[in-house]
Amino acid sequence: MSEKKPKNIIWQMLELISYKKTSRPKTFILPEMDEQQSKQRQESNKRQESEQQQIPENRQQSKGRNQADEQAKDTSQIPGGQEQKHTQAMVVERAGQRRRIPKKPLAASEVKSARVEKDQVKTDVNSNLQVLRQAFHVPENKDLIIRDIILPNKKRGFLAFLDGMVNKIIINEYILRPLLEQEATSQSGNTKGIALEDIVLTNDTQSLKNINEVISEILKGNTAVYVDGLDYILICETIGFEKRGVETPKTEIVVKGPQEAFSENLRTNITLLRRIIRNRDLVTEFFEIGEKSSTVCAIVYLQGLVNPLVVREVKRRLENIKIDFVVSAGMLEELIEDNPYSLFPTILNTERPDRTAASIMEGRVAIILDGTPIVLIVPVTLNALMHSSEDAALKWHNTTALRMVRFCAFAIAILLPGFYLALTTYHHEMIPTELLIAIAKAKENVPFPTIIEVLLMELGFELIREAGIRIPGIVGNTLGIIGALILGEAAVSANIVSPVLIIIVALTGLSNFALPNYSLAFGVRILRFCFIFAGAVLGFFGLALAAVLLTLMLVNLKSFGVPFMSIVAPRTKRGKDIVLRWPLWMQEKRPDFLNPLDSQRQPEIARQWTQQDPE
Amino acid sequence: MAPKKLSFLKGAIVLVCACCLSLTGCYDAKEIDQEVFTLVIGVDKGTGNMIRVTFQVSTYKEDGGNGGGSQNGGSAADTGELDGTVISTVEAPSLIESINMLNSASNRQISLSQTKMIIFSEEYAREGVGRYIEPLTRFREVGELMRVLVCRGRAEDYILENRSFIGGSLPKDIELSFLQSANTGYYPDVFLNEFYVRLLSPYAQAIAIYTAINDFDSLPEDGMEKGIIEPHPDLKPGEIPRKGGNKREMLGTVVFSGDKMVGYLNQNETRFYLLATGKYKRGLFTLDDPKSAGDFIVLEVTAHGAPKVTTFLENEIPYIYLEMLLDIDIAAIQNRENYFLNPSAYLELEKYIETYFVRGMEEVIRKTQQEWNSDIFEFGKKIAGNFWTIPQFEEYNWLERYREAKIDVKVKANISRAGYYFHPRPIEPEK
Amino acid sequence: MLEAYALVTIVIITKIFYTFPLTTIKQTGTAAWYTTLISCVGAIVFFALLYLLLQRFPQKDLYQVFEAVLGKKVSRFIILIFSVYFLYYTGINLSEFVTILKIYSMPFTPKEVLVAGFLTVIAAMAYVGLEGIVRVAYVLFYLIITGLVLILILAIPFYDFNSLKPWLGYGLGVSASEGFLKISAYDSVIILAIIANSLQGLKYFKRIGLSCLLTAGAIFSICLACILAAFQYTAGSGYISGMYHLSRIIYYSRFFQRVEAIFLFVWVFASVIAISAVFYIALSSYCRVFSITNHRPLLWPFLFLTFAFTFLPSNIYEIISVHVRLIRGYSVFLIVPVPILVLLVSIIRGKKGGKASGT
Repeated sequence: MSEKKPKNIIWQMLELISYKKTSRPKTFILPEMDEQQSKQRQESNKRQESEQQQIPENRQQSKGRNQADEQAKDTSQIPGGQEQKHTQAMVVERAGQRRRIPKKPLAASEVKSARVEKDQVKTDVNSNLQVLRQAFHVPENKDLIIRDIILPNKKRGFLAFLDGMVNKIIINEYILRPLLEQEATSQSGNTKGIALEDIVLTNDTQSLKNINEVISEILKGNTAVYVDGLDYILICETIGFEKRGVETPKTEIVVKGPQEAFSENLRTNITLLRRIIRNRDLVTEFFEIGEKSSTVCAIVYLQGLVNPLVVREVKRRLENIKIDFVVSAGMLEELIEDNPYSLFPTILNTERPDRTAASIMEGRVAIILDGTPIVLIVPVTLNALMHSSEDAALKWHNTTALRMVRFCAFAIAILLPGFYLALTTYHHEMIPTELLIAIAKAKENVPFPTIIEVLLMELGFELIREAGIRIPGIVGNTLGIIGALILGEAAVSANIVSPVLIIIVALTGLSNFALPNYSLAFGVRILRFCFIFAGAVLGFFGLALAAVLLTLMLVNLKSFGVPFMSIVAPRTKRGKDIVLRWPLWMQEKRPDFLNPLDSQRQPEIARQWTQQDPE
Repeated sequence: MAPKKLSFLKGAIVLVCACCLSLTGCYDAKEIDQEVFTLVIGVDKGTGNMIRVTFQVSTYKEDGGNGGGSQNGGSAADTGELDGTVISTVEAPSLIESINMLNSASNRQISLSQTKMIIFSEEYAREGVGRYIEPLTRFREVGELMRVLVCRGRAEDYILENRSFIGGSLPKDIELSFLQSANTGYYPDVFLNEFYVRLLSPYAQAIAIYTAINDFDSLPEDGMEKGIIEPHPDLKPGEIPRKGGNKREMLGTVVFSGDKMVGYLNQNETRFYLLATGKYKRGLFTLDDPKSAGDFIVLEVTAHGAPKVTTFLENEIPYIYLEMLLDIDIAAIQNRENYFLNPSAYLELEKYIETYFVRGMEEVIRKTQQEWNSDIFEFGKKIAGNFWTIPQFEEYNWLERYREAKIDVKVKANISRAGYYFHPRPIEPEK
Repeated sequence: MLEAYALVTIVIITKIFYTFPLTTIKQTGTAAWYTTLISCVGAIVFFALLYLLLQRFPQKDLYQVFEAVLGKKVSRFIILIFSVYFLYYTGINLSEFVTILKIYSMPFTPKEVLVAGFLTVIAAMAYVGLEGIVRVAYVLFYLIITGLVLILILAIPFYDFNSLKPWLGYGLGVSASEGFLKISAYDSVIILAIIANSLQGLKYFKRIGLSCLLTAGAIFSICLACILAAFQYTAGSGYISGMYHLSRIIYYSRFFQRVEAIFLFVWVFASVIAISAVFYIALSSYCRVFSITNHRPLLWPFLFLTFAFTFLPSNIYEIISVHVRLIRGYSVFLIVPVPILVLLVSIIRGKKGGKASGT
């Protein structure tokens, strides 16, 4: 029962560096050698011959699942009342484990069934109307429009739809008109002779017998059509609400490469992807997340390429989220990521269809949430977070150089202030004498110790940054630059900080901005303060200890079963697009750590024209 | 999963640890401006058993570069202020103790972590420096990369003239002045670490840089002396005939035996010494022209790697052969004699040069053997190869028997270039 | 599998940063650089015997072999001794490291604080377990080796390999006996046998073990030769940490000198990995003795014990002359003979693990 209560923060911090899966009986045994794995391997061999080259991680992952099953038995003993459901789900997610929660009826339907007496569609107009009215709180709710109709054969019927969510032209021209003019086309007054589907002229129709499904379709913007005597309700596709068009990317700007970004509309987003990957194997699966909001979420992957274990894992996590509503990709990310306490993101955010498509083609899974222009891509590794969408568009030398710069920026953004602090408070002998004397001279009138200076300036910089985002429009940018300049200059001349520090802080800030991933940059900002602390307390010794801890954290991090530091630890086959980006025609293999079913990206010789004689 | 109570306990322990750690910030942390950095240490003889230690520490005043002590009234000797540094002298029983004593006067902690050089007065060096080197190599703050110098006269006076004339930065000036050794070969470049290792070494004896203050009185007044032209005067530091600029100058090598100074090599001998040890980089040599007295040949000499030294023992008498190859670029032949007309003239010149170098080196070796019995050439390392074990070698006592060694020097000079001229025409004599 | 290689290599070579050069040069003089090679050869022989032992019992790790040969009670007693030894090793190594750190870099910080900071990281590493440790080891292995090579390369101007003469040091006999004792410098290779089950087979075990020993031997030999070349046997036998002094004399120009502090990173990385690995082995050996399935609850008591061991020696003399001498000298009489005896017993008794007897 202790699991139900939220754990205290320190224990949670401890879990940050914890490693969940080692709690197995023989602690000496690395998972690679476990018997279960060899079994697993045999199974997978049977299942799929191409899965032979499994890296340990996936075996581990499946092994973890075996254990999770055992643990799930424990979990199932927890009484799950309606009101506790929320906390419970959170706890399970927090533990970051691949635990399988026993299947339960969807809470969403439970809530609704409390109001709608029976799920079955009635066979008469009045009771169906009654049910719908009740469900949508008519007459208080003015959004549901119910249009009563009387067919030419005198049968009563109705149309129900949500105002604003539908395309009225479709309703008028292709539903109402055929229904009311039905007699002109059909001979007899016998409605049963002609199915309702055949009368209505919309492109997609569904006959639904469950009233709850009808309600959710209406909520999506479809129109429900009912004619007296039927035992089903016909749903016609009439979605047509206002939406933003496809615009240029706002946050991931590139010079070369496509200039379109995802929008809030799920359909549009999937279309954007399909336009890039014209492959019949591109599969889109839908999920509903949020018990009150029923937000639609799609996962997109390339069947036959992606590792089925990853897809299964993604689906499992998405299906087992119990939360009232989800509006942004960030919320969803928090709900499904492996280790929510990690400072580094284990899910890649992007607003670019081209990048998403490229990831899918590498064997990753894209998760698209309706209502957000941000797409989540899993699994990712650290080096994927250091790539930018422009990398593929530039020449390989340039990209390689840029990536080097980014990795330098990564190191600088984390380490530099802490390093400076350790250097100037512990290891004076390392600083060249001239510089040392210059620093001392500049510091002569500054009353504060270096740690205070560093914290002051870091705080100032964060303030400028935050304010720059909040202040609307162009003013924001200007203010950021001017603020930084003036603040720095003034702080120096007022003898509050020493000038070297301004350089340090500015360099750190720049490096932070050079990181291509927004969430990663955030993590780095927080880490920087940890390193400042470590450097201030124990100098280089402290920094080194902190670095070991950071490494430990990184190597234990996983993104949907794939270790975050793949390629380095654990070692996998090195691709040709990691830090160095080799020419495109040399990248024959897909990333090894993702275990795609088809690891060959292109034939050994991609530029086949080089084999031919020029004409 | 641990029960909640235990996890809370763990959390508390971690928190306490974190607090403890964060409270330690003051143990070893030192702000830069809490300390002052000693650039130069000078060691003089004090009264009785005491030593007088002079520290030159840099100050943090803005614009300290161009003033100099005299600006504030009073000379550097009175105020101790000199070009952005402060010079203070203290008498104390030991070197480290002197820092402590000075700490109570200077308002900030004195740090030795940036010290560039340590200067012993010659008087002191002749009595033995081991006692004062020891704390420097044991004390953690001291860098092993400071230079070791011995100065004629008092170290205190020497430091009072230690100022930067070129730029505002004294430490840079000091560092760069040692690098000049590679350009001239007039003095060696000796690190404290090297000095210390050689003090302990059974293979060789220590050396140091010889230095002094030049009072600018060696420059002969116009027309004072005439006639004698000596291309290689035996100069001590402080005797370079010059005027203006920096008063301190380094010239020659101090030879130690054990930890005591026993003599010195002048600038030319130093070059031969450096040549023989393979530390010589490049420099100009001025030779008498064999064909016309009073004229000089100036050579730019580059050593072709370290000399080859072979040794063997016969009846416990060490024989040492030293062979080396020199690369010669003729920089000037004052009488414009053409040595490249025929091979014999050319070979003759080479022969002449070779003899010059052999004689020079042999003379230096003879001096170290006969006068001081101090193997500063590290021949001992080669001799050690003739013994199997350390006890045998130590019993042989090479450092004592250096005197007995028969040393043979062989030089091959190769005149590879002759500057811009190949066939110079003599200047037409006045008609 | 490079991970295991990195881990064991780091565990072995970390000594070079401590007083290992000091004691070796003190005892064998100019012969130090090949004395360690003698030890290396000895260690390879030991490893071969270890391999023979494990070969008789395929799919078992060392402790399981003990149990199969000696029976439960005796083997558990031996494993307990091993556990205590490893814990002692952890404490003394930590003490040595912290003392050196105090001497060279942080003279005024109390030992307790340094040890506590260090143990925090050890705790995290051991909490995560072997897998985390090997991965960290692998990531930092490159850094450590790079740092080491950098020190050796940057100090080149101070080398004179003539200082290695006379070639035999204090005599061959001294070198040989000292070389035999110093086999214990390499005996951490036994860790490989303890974690043998994680190594995907004996073939890898052999390959990893040999390459670990050869790498470590080469590194020790080169480092000792460089220290001798730079400081000669006279001054070299005086410095507490020869490698640290090598980094102290790096001088390239007026802005690139006295960079020894930066190599503190290499020191700390290597020490953290080595000490946490041995600590973890101690911990899990103990768990093995009492059939404890989860090592985590034992973390705190073991940390406390390590802390206590760290304060066992009260001064530098005790560390170098008693404890380190014990660990890097006479421990050869503990670690080496036990597996060999077990091998003998198993041969005499004719015990052999069948192929099917995998655990």
